[in-house]
Amino acid sequence: MILVEDVHKRYQTQHGPGRWVLQGVSLTLPSTLSIGLVGRNGAGKSTLLRLIGGVDNPTRGRVERRCRVSWPMGFGGGLQGSLTGRQNAKFVARIHGHENDVNERLDYVESFAELGEAFDEPVKTYSSGMKSRLQFGLSLAFDFEVYISDEVTATGDAAFRAKAAAAFANLVGRAGLIMVSHNEGTLRQFCSAGIWLHEGRAHWFDAIDDALKAYRESIAK
Amino acid sequence: MDNARSSAVVTLSVWNALFLREAISRVTSGRVAWLWLFLEPVLHLTVLMVIFSMIQRQVTQGIDFALFLAIGVLGYNLFRNSATRSMAAISANRALFAYRQVKAVDVVLVRAFLEGVVQLLVALLVFSGMALFGFNAIPADPMGVFVVFALLWLAGTGLGLILSVGSTLVPEIGRLVSLFFIPLYFLSGVMFPPSMLPAALFELLLWNPILHGLEVMRAAFIPGYHLLNGIEVGYLTAFAFASFFFGLAVHRRFSSRLMMQ
Repeated sequence: MILVEDVHKRYQTQHGPGRWVLQGVSLTLPSTLSIGLVGRNGAGKSTLLRLIGGVDNPTRGRVERRCRVSWPMGFGGGLQGSLTGRQNAKFVARIHGHENDVNERLDYVESFAELGEAFDEPVKTYSSGMKSRLQFGLSLAFDFEVYISDEVTATGDAAFRAKAAAAFANLVGRAGLIMVSHNEGTLRQFCSAGIWLHEGRAHWFDAIDDALKAYRESIAK
Repeated sequence: MDNARSSAVVTLSVWNALFLREAISRVTSGRVAWLWLFLEPVLHLTVLMVIFSMIQRQVTQGIDFALFLAIGVLGYNLFRNSATRSMAAISANRALFAYRQVKAVDVVLVRAFLEGVVQLLVALLVFSGMALFGFNAIPADPMGVFVVFALLWLAGTGLGLILSVGSTLVPEIGRLVSLFFIPLYFLSGVMFPPSMLPAALFELLLWNPILHGLEVMRAAFIPGYHLLNGIEVGYLTAFAFASFFFGLAVHRRFSSRLMMQ
């Protein structure tokens, strides 16, 4: 379970404090549900994912993770360009406490990402599709109770998208999933519940279709 | 949750992973980077030796001048590298903050520790090499040398901790610091004994903790080395611990602002 209590967030800009991105978001996220996060660009979807993932701290309020939560996947970050895919994967395995079974995790990442020889090349030589293959393989190599995904299924070629979708479908029911996507089909496919972010506040919907409907109505206005 | 790891376990595994990661990029960035770690101070020393032998100055009496220089250069490099590499640690590892287990203070401390290990290996190799070539490069008081080495490292790390926060919040600080280290080289007594200086200048330079460190290290290394009044290892010790803990406090204070892009 993840508790989000009265979270406010604004970023520091070069001209002092910026606008409030989130204003009083309170949520209780069960760790068995797949939740889709919708809202227009700049509504704070990625910000909320970062706060839930613990990568950033809220300006006010607090986030409490009572289960193993993944890092925000598909973030573009988390990979060191000068190191190879394998070295990056080793690093992630180690910080997650898998010092003893590093090799099994590496084998999993290597076979899932299907990078071939590029797995031993520096990550800075990768294309964006190759990077997201590696990131996706990395995030699935560890057993989290809740996975956080920021548009991760949107990248890669058709074959990889199918593979990623299958992996996600496999997760649903076994673990929780909180995902951001601008693709309604993806959201409908994987998510049962939905959160609509609007003007700094979060609105909870038990059915993803209702969340999408509220979102669509807000843009139509 | 029963499967949650304790904070200490998480931190230890992060330090372990970061150390291996940093060590790999330190020795593989660029062609034969590991060789340059040793060649750079050796070339530095060689150039200084050539210059000093050309101007034919009897700088020090009764002391092996090459050894005097080697201690100065290696000790100064230890301090400078600990400080400047720690300072750059946050921007160099920004990608890794995508994992909430990794905090800004972790990357700085681990990088400083690696730098200490690297400089220790370099120093051991240079002094062993000098001993092979007939210099009297075996310290009279090895423990004393090591303690001063550790203090210089701690002082550099403390400064690096403070500067890493400073240069992340105010990028201009990074530029000023690299300028600042050029005169510091000449004000730390790397190339000349402080006894050669006018008394007024020497009084002023006593504010510089590196000068204290280098002189005390020479005294521990070379039997009968004359220490001037005012040179105190206690001053370096105080500076090292004060800057280290102040650096940790600054990291604590600004921890959330450091994680932001």
